[in-house]
Amino acid sequence: MATTLCSRAVQKLGWLPCTQSVRHGSKSVTRHRKPVHFLKQKLMALTQYIPPQPAVSERCIIPPSKQVQEESGLTRLLKREVEALFRDNKMVAVFQNNAVTAEDMLQLKHRLMKHGIAVKFYPNQVARSYLSDSKYSNLLPLFIGQNVLLVSREPKVKEMLQTLRTMPHIILLGACVEDALLSRQGVLNYSKLPSLAVIQGEVVGGLSLMTSQTASLLQHHPLQLSRLLQQYVKQQSEGDGGETEGAEAQ
Amino acid sequence: MFAFLKTTFLGLTRSSRVTGSLQNQLKLVVAGMKTYEEPPDYSGVVLPERPKLKFINKVPNFKKAKKEMKKLRDIRGPAQTANTFARGQYGIVALGGGYLHWGHIEMMRLTINRRIDPRTTFARWRVNAPYKPITRKGLGQRMGGGKGAIDHYVTPVRCGRMVLELGGRCEFGEVEPILTEVAKKLPFPAKVVSRESLAAMYQEERERELNNQNPWTFQRVVSTNMLGIRKVLSPFDLRHNGKYVGKFRLPGRV
Repeated sequence: MATTLCSRAVQKLGWLPCTQSVRHGSKSVTRHRKPVHFLKQKLMALTQYIPPQPAVSERCIIPPSKQVQEESGLTRLLKREVEALFRDNKMVAVFQNNAVTAEDMLQLKHRLMKHGIAVKFYPNQVARSYLSDSKYSNLLPLFIGQNVLLVSREPKVKEMLQTLRTMPHIILLGACVEDALLSRQGVLNYSKLPSLAVIQGEVVGGLSLMTSQTASLLQHHPLQLSRLLQQYVKQQSEGDGGETEGAEAQ
Repeated sequence: MFAFLKTTFLGLTRSSRVTGSLQNQLKLVVAGMKTYEEPPDYSGVVLPERPKLKFINKVPNFKKAKKEMKKLRDIRGPAQTANTFARGQYGIVALGGGYLHWGHIEMMRLTINRRIDPRTTFARWRVNAPYKPITRKGLGQRMGGGKGAIDHYVTPVRCGRMVLELGGRCEFGEVEPILTEVAKKLPFPAKVVSRESLAAMYQEERERELNNQNPWTFQRVVSTNMLGIRKVLSPFDLRHNGKYVGKFRLPGRV
């Protein structure tokens, strides 16, 4: 950095100041940080970076982004299993299990297996993701917290409830029996229903009530029948007389 | 199977009554599955023949060595050449100016050659062999009597220049500790970067320039010579907008 006094000619081409400082202690490139001229310090302070500050900070407006995780192979497998479960089994009951020990679980499984009821455990995430897409979406509120699925091909509600009477910590939440969603009360009512044969018999009986009554009437003793008919005729004649009297009175 | 389980269960209960200990507690074990991210695909990566850093001479092959002036301007300001990636994926970028002498170069070469696996990674120099002669006068000499003799040679490095590059079938996490070990020992501040991180760095700088809320910028004040400020500044400041002072880079400047 040599001192120079510029001439008019130089001013035409590029602008250099008329006078330049003479004092120079060190070269322009030094190992240490050179003391900066006060005016330059002021300039640096004035021209500092000011970051943008919106009125409402970004964090208040932009919601935190939720990472969408891809389904792993295991979840896909379990989902297929759940699908098959709902397809093949007529009865699917959801129970809440509160701290059942492994021994109790083993015994329960053994007892239920005698009636053909299987005990299934599936992660809630898998079950929920399947149910939300299927027609059983109303079962979604049941799959929160610890739960067990008891499934069977034939709807054996009565046996299931009897077996679980001894276990108060396994609580019935709801069930899907033959594509009908039942709440806890609904399941209990269903269990109290008699079997299909009995109900069919009752319906048949109700339909053939009149014919059966007439058949039993005709099977009475003939003396009784003649007395019944006489009584009937008397009633009819009394009824006619009463009517004619009533008509005359008017 | 259940008959067998029944007998075992009863057996356990009987034993518990006899021993009265807690040994018959069955445990339900649940198995899950851990999913891993797919490893990166290195099918397109070709490793060169000589993957290690080549040896660099201390002294260039001159017939006659000439003494040179100090020319400190080869340290000053940003690097215009070799400031981007050429062949590698990861590298060391200089964040300040300085001279690399043979000792630094040997340190880099030996550390990297020792630490990398030549079957999977390769390394390349991005700086030249030392070519600038540095003179020194003998010990106890008084001022005067001509310029000293050539003592050693150095390579000048400007701010923003790539010093080394690494590439091959490797990830940043594998390579980073090796490069930081080297970067710490360099005579200027240096940073370990990958292609993405370097691009991100420059992008961030440009964004800062754009979204600066200060209406007064160094460039505006100095180029228009407001208040005659160029009296206390040099043409170098005008050219580089106050971001560089000598060999240093002021990081907060926009």
